[in-house]
Order: sequence, then structure tokens, then C-alpha cells
Amino acid sequence: MNPQLQILIALQDILSLIREAKDPSQKRALGRMGFKMTNLEALEQTRENLEDQLSPAIRSQYARAKKRYGRIVAPVINGICYGCFVKIPSAIDTAEDRNQTLYRCENCGMFLFWVEK
Amino acid sequence: MKLSEILAPRRIALDLKAKTKDEVLEELVRLLRLSSPARKTLVKTLLAREELGSTGVGNGVAIPHCRSLVVSKVLVAVGRSKRGISFKSPDGKRVFLFFLIVAPPVGDPGEYLVVLGTVAQAAKILAKDRRIKKVKTPREFIKLIKEIEK
Ligand SMILES: [Zn+2]
Repeated sequence: MNPQLQILIALQDILSLIREAKDPSQKRALGRMGFKMTNLEALEQTRENLEDQLSPAIRSQYARAKKRYGRIVAPVINGICYGCFVKIPSAIDTAEDRNQTLYRCENCGMFLFWVEK
Repeated sequence: MKLSEILAPRRIALDLKAKTKDEVLEELVRLLRLSSPARKTLVKTLLAREELGSTGVGNGVAIPHCRSLVVSKVLVAVGRSKRGISFKSPDGKRVFLFFLIVAPPVGDPGEYLVVLGTVAQAAKILAKDRRIKKVKTPREFIKLIKEIEK
């Protein structure tokens, strides 16, 4: 896997966690099951550490997507970008270097990740 | 939703070798049979989740969970440790039984919470059931869950 893509995926997972920890209804539902989410600072620190590992060009594309959508990587499932639900050109969807080369959706600009089935 | 219906014998390990929190998360993630980069990313996300607050729920049970881009559907794995592992549980007890839950960030947003709730409920009952220590095979474990769910 492309090393920068791997960092972006880790960042996307952390952003999902941060969103969950900040969402009052999710927090309540999880709290009722016995799960506490208190140490948000540690997560923000992990996010910053990961951001520092991005190359300058990718970091600015990351910042744009994060500001616009709150998300940065869209999974591709059955040829569809799950960031904008638009079909990926089939030449890219079937490319042998997908996940090795960093691709972005031509429509929404999010980084693309082909999820293992 | 029934827990017994989403469990798969190949994702159940009844004799975990791990001795630490990091090791047990790695061992549980291994049961999901993902590629190596996906596995590494998922372990990192689960460790970050633990930093946010331990997923140990007390009485020797922990339910590590997160949403992650590396999976395409909700996956559950189970691990039992005979010695128990220190997991920063609120009651300070070592953890003997682990349920790992990983969900994709897309799809039905309620499904993840339903699975978590179902597991949390079953885990609470299992923690007090002595039969959990005697179960010898993954199929026996699923059979026990079925009995609890009756
Ligand atoms: Zn898109």
C-alpha cells in the first residue's frame, strides 16, 4: 500500500473516532453500554502526529478535503466513490496500481481507497 | 440481531497467547484475516480508541471497538485468555474475555451501535457464567452464546 495512503487511512479512522467522541448522541449511547470517551486530547495529539507525516503537497489536499467534507478518504466499493457516490472511471477502478498509487476522486477530490472484500 | 448469527468459528480464539494490551489487540485483529497494511492500521486505530478511554467493561470483559476504513462490513472476533490481561478496566480486574468489533465508516450507521449493544449485553451475562471457562472449541462457544440468547 502507498505509505502516504496508509497514513491518510489512519487519519480518517482517527477523525471518525474524534467525531464519535464529540457527538453527544453517540457518546450517550456508548456511555450507556459502559464505554467512556474522556481523553480527547490524546486523540488530537495522535492526529497531529500523523498529519506531520504527510508530504507538504498531500497535506494541503488533505486540509482542503477535511475542511470541506470533514472526511478525507473515501472507500471505493463496486466502482463507486463513497465520498460522492459517483462512479469511478473504469480505467482507474481496474488499475493494477490502485492503493499503490495515490488516486483522488475526479468529482469530490477525496483520496480513494479500494477496500478488501 | 443475534450475536450467535454474526460469530464465525474462524474468528474465535480460545487460548490467546498475548500478555499485553498491544499484543492482544494484534492477536484479535489477526483473526479478521486482513492484509498486513490493513492490519497495522486497524491496530493503531484500536490503540487510539483505548487512549480515549479503556474499552474494558469490568468483570473480566473488554470490548475493543472502532470504525475503520479497512473493513467493508461489521466484523466480530472473540478471544479468551486463560491468564487474563491487564487492560485498564474501570474495576482494575484483568480481562479474560475479549470481543473485537470493527465496522466500516459507511453503511447503516445504526448497525454498529446495535452490534455493540448486543455484544455488551451478552458479555455481561457471559462474565457471570462459569461455562465460559470450560468451553473447548469455537463451535462450543457459539453454542453457549445461543443458549444465553434463548
Ligand atoms: Zn468522490
